Amino acid sequence: MSPSPRRSPSPGRLARIGLQDPAADRHLATLELDESARDLVLDQIAVAADPDAALAGLACLVAAVATVGHGQAASLRTALVDDPQLLHRLTAVFGSSRALADHLRTHPEHWQDLRSATPAPPLLADDEGAAADPDGLRVAYRRRLLLIAAADLTGVTSVDHVAASLSDLADATLEVALRQAQAQLPEQAARCRFAVIAMGKCGACELNYVSDVDVVFVHEPSEGASEDEAVRAATRLAAAMMRICSDHTAEGTIWPVDAGLRPEGRSGPLSRTLAGHVGYYDRWASSWEFQALLKARPAAGDPDLGRRYAEAVDAMVWRAGERPGFVAEVQAMRRKVVEQIPSEQMGRALKLGPGGLRDIEFAVQLLQLVHGRGDERLREQSTLRALGALTAGGYVGREDGAALAEAYRFLRTMEHRLQLWQLRRIQVVPDDDEVWRRLGRALGHRTKPVIGLRSQWQECLREVRRLHEKLFYRPLLEAVAALPAGELRLSPEAARLRLTALGYDDPRGALAHLEALTSGLSRRAAIQRQLLPAMLGWFADGPDPDAALLAFRRVSERLGTTHWYLQRLRDEGEAAEQLARVLNSSRLATDLLMGTPDAVALLGDREGLRPRTTQVLAREMDAAAKRHVDPVAAIEAVRTMRHRELCRIAIGDVLDVLDGDAVGEALTQVTLATITGALAVATAAVQAEQRRPLPVRMAVVSMGRLGGHELGLASDADVMFVYVPIVGTGERAAGAAAHAVAQEMRRMLARPGAAPPLELDAGLRPEGRQGPLVRTLASYAAYYARWSQPWEAQALLRAEAVVGDPEVCARFTALIDPLRWPRDGLDEHTITEVRRIKARVEAERLPRGADPAGQLKLGPGGLTDVEWTAQLLQMRHAGRIPGLQTTRTVAALEAAVAAQLLDRDDADDLITAWRLAQRLRDAVMQVRGRPSDALPTDLRDRAGVAYLLGWSVLDSERVSDEWRRAARRARAVVDRVFWA
Amino acid sequence: MGKQEDFVLRAIEERDVRFVRLWFTDVQGFLKSVAVAPAELDNAFDEGIGFDGSAIEGFARVYEADMLAKPDPTTFQILPWRGEGPATARMFCDILLPDGGASYADPRHVLKRMMSKAADLGFTFYPHPEIEFFLLKEQPAAGAVPVPVDNSGYFDHTAQGLGHDFRREVITMLESMGISVEFSHHEAAPGQQEIDLRYADALSTADNIMTFRVVVREVALGQGIYASFMPKPFTQFAGSGMHTHLSLFEGDRNAFYEAGTEYQLSEIGRSFIAGLLRHSAEVTAVTNQWVNSYKRIIGGGEAPAFVCWGHNNRSALVRVPRYKPDKGQSTRAEVRSIDAACNPYLSYALLLAAGLKGIEEGYELPAEAEDDVWSLTDGERHALGIEALPQNLDQAIKVMESSELVAETLGEHVFEFFLRNKRAEWQAYRRQVSQFELDSMLPLL
Repeated sequence: MSPSPRRSPSPGRLARIGLQDPAADRHLATLELDESARDLVLDQIAVAADPDAALAGLACLVAAVATVGHGQAASLRTALVDDPQLLHRLTAVFGSSRALADHLRTHPEHWQDLRSATPAPPLLADDEGAAADPDGLRVAYRRRLLLIAAADLTGVTSVDHVAASLSDLADATLEVALRQAQAQLPEQAARCRFAVIAMGKCGACELNYVSDVDVVFVHEPSEGASEDEAVRAATRLAAAMMRICSDHTAEGTIWPVDAGLRPEGRSGPLSRTLAGHVGYYDRWASSWEFQALLKARPAAGDPDLGRRYAEAVDAMVWRAGERPGFVAEVQAMRRKVVEQIPSEQMGRALKLGPGGLRDIEFAVQLLQLVHGRGDERLREQSTLRALGALTAGGYVGREDGAALAEAYRFLRTMEHRLQLWQLRRIQVVPDDDEVWRRLGRALGHRTKPVIGLRSQWQECLREVRRLHEKLFYRPLLEAVAALPAGELRLSPEAARLRLTALGYDDPRGALAHLEALTSGLSRRAAIQRQLLPAMLGWFADGPDPDAALLAFRRVSERLGTTHWYLQRLRDEGEAAEQLARVLNSSRLATDLLMGTPDAVALLGDREGLRPRTTQVLAREMDAAAKRHVDPVAAIEAVRTMRHRELCRIAIGDVLDVLDGDAVGEALTQVTLATITGALAVATAAVQAEQRRPLPVRMAVVSMGRLGGHELGLASDADVMFVYVPIVGTGERAAGAAAHAVAQEMRRMLARPGAAPPLELDAGLRPEGRQGPLVRTLASYAAYYARWSQPWEAQALLRAEAVVGDPEVCARFTALIDPLRWPRDGLDEHTITEVRRIKARVEAERLPRGADPAGQLKLGPGGLTDVEWTAQLLQMRHAGRIPGLQTTRTVAALEAAVAAQLLDRDDADDLITAWRLAQRLRDAVMQVRGRPSDALPTDLRDRAGVAYLLGWSVLDSERVSDEWRRAARRARAVVDRVFWA
Repeated sequence: MGKQEDFVLRAIEERDVRFVRLWFTDVQGFLKSVAVAPAELDNAFDEGIGFDGSAIEGFARVYEADMLAKPDPTTFQILPWRGEGPATARMFCDILLPDGGASYADPRHVLKRMMSKAADLGFTFYPHPEIEFFLLKEQPAAGAVPVPVDNSGYFDHTAQGLGHDFRREVITMLESMGISVEFSHHEAAPGQQEIDLRYADALSTADNIMTFRVVVREVALGQGIYASFMPKPFTQFAGSGMHTHLSLFEGDRNAFYEAGTEYQLSEIGRSFIAGLLRHSAEVTAVTNQWVNSYKRIIGGGEAPAFVCWGHNNRSALVRVPRYKPDKGQSTRAEVRSIDAACNPYLSYALLLAAGLKGIEEGYELPAEAEDDVWSLTDGERHALGIEALPQNLDQAIKVMESSELVAETLGEHVFEFFLRNKRAEWQAYRRQVSQFELDSMLPLL
């Protein structure tokens, strides 16, 4: 056929098709087609993933075929017009794979395989060319790969089928490679029977276009051959076979064969006898190896030997679930999935990362391992088939299963398309718009390929993550739900099995809670059904899942009817997760939460969890108190507000919104505001009772940890009361009124009630508990002038007068400053006295029989040690050094460093131990809901503390180890600085 | 139940084992044993055998007395000295808390934790001990002078030598328990023997040393003599040490080896040795834990009393043995201070910690000591920067007290207990009026 006159199509048309390469014109001309034929070709090129590549490939093929013979070129041209299938296949392949285009250029005759009329080439195993030599095999392999790709790219087969065909091709390739190896080494071949077992993706019949093919080798000595000879022979055969598959020559390479999954890994012998394999797995194998065996399948070599291997191994795999520690390993695997660290390739990695292929595969394998022991139907090798079986068996929700399978297919298709271009093993999409464009078009996004693909992928990842969270838990709910008879569901036995695997110690109890939480038609039950799958997962990460689930049930029964609660949890994803963390770790916060339903609003609101400022608190408390004339109602309003603030702080502490000293500061502010409110209410009450204005001006002095702004979650409030009679008032009347106010304050705050009580402890006043509860300013002055003991001056170091009458506060402060910060420091005698008291306190106040090392307050290196060290420095030097004039321990130590009274390193050791002790005391209070100055001796409590501090719950000893280390270092400093 | 547990249960059936001894080691390095009937093993594997930890030296705080001993099935062996007929077997145990977490008081856990730190850095640690001990004619009695079984010397082959037979029996038993022996010979002092174990990972080696001490004592009893690992039973003869060759592997490769360098020693090897040296005084209270240990160290001769290293120097604390051509895998460092009466778990954990510290911090290896350090004057040693190891237990305790490396490696609990225990030992010792004082002063004063 002589070429008819041709006219180039307009540049506009080419651009519309997607052709951007300036060489497109020239390529089109090379095809030498008449106009109608050319339009046909352009129509096909327009739908190829990369139109330029499709056209260039076609042009190259025509040129290459022409070199074989002119007749060939003519018949290709004719076929392009007459055989639309051929044209479609060629443009699809060229548009998606440069590597296969290269193959066709070197072996142009293979285009014939793509004609609709051409019978399929012989099976690889029967192909003479392939059998001849390794290069022949490589060519034959590519020839079959071309066919698989053509069917794949023209949408004739599904992604699962493509993966299965690739695995079949791999089997055949291994077989031929083995035969060649046997031919190369006839002596060795005679000494043993030999089989190749496919593992990994190949074993599961879900191979990629390009990946390592995982195998193990098994052999048996032939008759007359010794074990030794056989193993040497088998090793050489295996090595030769692996080389044939992985060598690079002018004809390229096939794929690397990886035998790393064999017993003992890379240090084990390449091939073993069947008995050798069985012996190894019987005695030495670890759990992941059994997981690998899930995918073992004979692929090539002696079929009888391969079959016997498969039978022997199969029997062992499903017993693996009986291994001790299996449950722990299952959980570890699950965490591994969840904790996979997002890399810099985030958003471009197909395999790793949350929502990636590995994520799905792990989830499926995990469920297989948990349930496959009892249910043989689950023993499928490929991910999709296993997922199908899990869904059919009710182990995975039907919709979840279908959605997950769809996501998996999408990701695998993407992976296939990505690899096909250069036949390279890549799992990360390069940061290159060209590639994204081609991929997007290959996956059907014609108009906006890059944006379209990105958003589809993002959605898929989100979907997988969403499904993943519920995959394990949703069927548990169905197990207890009242479903119509005949509906598929997890059996109670299987549900218990799964709960146990996830770390619930009492699966029966857990199922009962689930039933109680989800049964019924109420809105609450409906929302809880939605929430629980995720909540169960979060509980499983905590130290005591059973307790957390029970706490959830309690909270829900208490708060479930308040609209705040459900709305918050349903609408704010973060709120539910934060609630789970609170329930997991803190009895204190849980109890506080149950008492103040509206505090649920704090969840999911990081800003809201920040402590309120003093002014805001004082204003609110004042307003609340003034709203009520009745003192009982007024104080209740104050206490309720304190309750809410405590809740805010406790939750903030659990969720790490508050760090370090912030908890102490926040608690101090709340307490000061509460005392201020109580003082106002008590004053009003006494005035009402006495029917006249109060004849005194009063102040409440903060002492101890309150004065130091260092309150813990378990601390009482240390205070002293001071007053000044109003001129003209009798001494007795004034004293009685002040006493009445102080008593009333203490009574109102300590009374049991809905809101937690606050104990005002006045034990640090002059003469201690024997002394009068209230004193006038003058009385304090007289007492301190005459009787004061060193310990009282020491106690005053942390006195802070800020509540009550400002003038009284100021005068009190002026009174005590010279006492606590004497200008000339302390004389030797007083220093000795302070040390002696400390020694006595150490000897007497430690609880009997307790391990001193576990005492956070009085033990060596504990709070008292550090505080006394700071306080002795203050009493000796604060008169000269204004920086030391502070009520706060850490600030005092820092000032001592600045004044060169203390080494930086020593101060750091003291501060570290002091902060850790404070943190641990708070953590103990959170976990137990009861105060204690000692590290918990109960292991559960200790695991809870570890969890709160962000450590592994399985390493409860670490709590004690960390504390002892900090305390030891602090004690060494105390020995040098305090006792020296 | 897993494969290894299955294997143990089958072996018990087949070999007619009537008792299984569960072994573990207290903080001082004494072997503890609890016998269980095979029927209880199922439970032991699943949950462990409960015992009162407060009864074991150094294990528990009073309030958390409950502990679990969980047998490690890979250590299952039949005890060969129990003779024919119904057999007795042993397994080493890990000590757990009732919640299943490891107890920090368990010396085995201390070593495991350090090994996993090494593994995080990509290393496996292989110690290889040369264990020395004395054979005495009789069981020790209070006030009696010990008498060695023979009067032979280093490498002596005695025709009817009791020691010869003795070593053969010991080695047979060890091999039957899966413990390979590399080498054995008569040592320099009368009655003194040396047996070298083949190298294995640190945990197996420490387990093997515990087993070794039992086997040696059992065989001696069977032959009517007495074996002792006391570091220095005779004033006039050399003491018994446990020189240990150390090497680190990265996968299959000896990380100490580098072709073409001095002594074929890699940078990693040099830093490791530098770490051993720099921290040697801190770990001495553990590697040489008895008051008697120091009598060996300060005894002169080949005892390593000074912190230095050398190549062919038998007075150095760390020796880098001669390199054998084509044996790159054998490059190693020999620590010569440690003695056989130590707790091997704690000692090896500390040696590993010291060496790794050297690697992590990139310590520089000081110059090699080429002279016999004992023959130098104090001034010369000072000029060369060679310091002495602690001269007695008290000094060793003092150095250890301020060692963060030792505290972190042992964990605070073991650290604290160990120091308390050793202080008590030193207090008790220094109150004693010794034979030396009586002999030299009573006649004169």
